[in-house]
Amino acid sequence: MPAAAQIRVMVVDDQMTMRSLVRTGLQQLGFQDIVETPDGEEALRQILSRPVHLVISDFNMPRLDGMGLLRALRSHGPTSKTAFIMLTGRADKELVQKAVQLGVNNYLVKPFTVQTLKEKIEAVFGKLT
Amino acid sequence: MTPDAFRSDAFRSDPAGSKRIHVVQGEFAVTDDPDVMMGTILGSCVAACMRDPLAGVGGMNHFLLPGEREPTGGPQALRYGVQSMELLLNALYRMGARRERLEVKLFGGARVIDGLSDVGQQNAAFGERFLASEGIRMVGGSLRGDQARRIQFWPVSGRVRQMALVDPGRQLFEAERAKPVPVQPADDGELELF
Repeated sequence: MPAAAQIRVMVVDDQMTMRSLVRTGLQQLGFQDIVETPDGEEALRQILSRPVHLVISDFNMPRLDGMGLLRALRSHGPTSKTAFIMLTGRADKELVQKAVQLGVNNYLVKPFTVQTLKEKIEAVFGKLT
Repeated sequence: MTPDAFRSDAFRSDPAGSKRIHVVQGEFAVTDDPDVMMGTILGSCVAACMRDPLAGVGGMNHFLLPGEREPTGGPQALRYGVQSMELLLNALYRMGARRERLEVKLFGGARVIDGLSDVGQQNAAFGERFLASEGIRMVGGSLRGDQARRIQFWPVSGRVRQMALVDPGRQLFEAERAKPVPVQPADDGELELF
């Protein structure tokens, strides 16, 4: 069982308020190593220089969107196994299916509770200690 | 492009040819049609009237934070307001709007019933704080006070008409309370892919 504190997480969303909400939720779950970026391009740049274990990313973002970020990570050897949970505004089946084809690990429909966030992360990493 | 309203039956034409969308709590709508007027009635709820003058698009949402259940206005309460704003913003972005060009007017947040917790103040403060945090320009509006409001908004021109409702009565308050918050399904719905 991984300890939440050992998992390095990147939160990617163009809305600062949403990033703040996700960060607060993660901190409540015991995560300590959390970085934030406002778009996929910046996220990719940072991940390539310092890898993370988990990316929680919105899909509607300027420059590189969430799908583009997922595609870029999966196509690059060192980051191809990075866990990726997508944030979506609606339970958009087509969007989720496309993300699944690209190798997304899970998805989270906004607005979500901390409990749901926990369940989605545990579905990827196993029970958090 | 036709208006993109969360409620499919929200759009209609009236005999005079103008087009109206009534935006109730938990909903939003966007349009690029200059003839469309969006309307709503607000007590302690808040509506954000947004437009991008260059792209010629605009829209309105209508939200209420669940203040009674979480009086401190913590993250669990805020997520509904954030979600409502995000849905409206994303719909506008899809129609060509850009964040840096957006103009927003906020309305509502009244203390409509004495003696109860001031949910209106929480909603108004959230709206102002959200726009400031996200760097989105607030160009006007009318928040707080103790009267309910009827708002009419023409999204493409940005024109807004506000009418104070002198005696909306308890019905308005109860209507706001009867439909608690959800802007969208709060869970994963029927998608079972994992």
